[in-house]
Amino acid sequence: MNSRSYFVFMQMELKTFPATVDSLDPLRQYVKDVSQQAGLDKKATYNLILAVDEIATNIILYGYEKAGLEGFIDVLTEVSDNRLKVVFEDDAAPFDPTTRELPDEEDFDLPLEERPIGGLGIYLTINGVSEFSYEYINNRNRNIFEVDIKSP
Amino acid sequence: MDFTINSEVVDKVAKITLSGELDSLSARVFQKEIEKVALQSPTELVLDMEHLAFMSSAGLRVLIFSKQKMGVGLTIYVVKPQEAIVDTLEKTGLQHSVNIVDQYPA
Repeated sequence: MNSRSYFVFMQMELKTFPATVDSLDPLRQYVKDVSQQAGLDKKATYNLILAVDEIATNIILYGYEKAGLEGFIDVLTEVSDNRLKVVFEDDAAPFDPTTRELPDEEDFDLPLEERPIGGLGIYLTINGVSEFSYEYINNRNRNIFEVDIKSP
Repeated sequence: MDFTINSEVVDKVAKITLSGELDSLSARVFQKEIEKVALQSPTELVLDMEHLAFMSSAGLRVLIFSKQKMGVGLTIYVVKPQEAIVDTLEKTGLQHSVNIVDQYPA
């Protein structure tokens, strides 16, 4: 088993993007290509792209730009056991998006002008993938998106 | 995909046509356009989204901003949004605050 997991790990593809808002468009395009190669349908692809865009935006705007830092987002991808896994790694300050307060049903019933504005992005992220998780390892943020690949 | 935006205000109806992808970068442009049309105090905001292929929460925040900026009397129409965008509006409950229509005027 050890040798197999090692092999799987080695198969993760890495692509690096500068942590600036100009990277959002190429990053979405890259994840779209990976999703299509993995066989995700149109809806699952869109929802994953939306999820990665939301998290990348947070990393870029709050992790780097607001902190006055320059840096990169490493995007690792792999397909195994009918699951597409996309991992973002960055060197900004530790930030766990899953601890963010999510809007609840009551907020969704409020008229638009009374809506709290925060939390929508992380809500769409969690709703857009099969599993979303976060870890902080070796001084790096790791945001992990996993999507089940349904057989056609 | 490149984001483009055009707007005009005629008889208190502000029509904004969005195309391409609306992310946190292009949402800044969208917000500036909203601020511009708000100066003419429109009562209806018509957003043509037929050729908008992507909208993140940054776009949703501009919709919320529009209502906050132009007041509760503002009626928002979203014209011909793509299925994925309708899905996002529904997931976040925003479909209750905007009118999703096939054409404007009906």
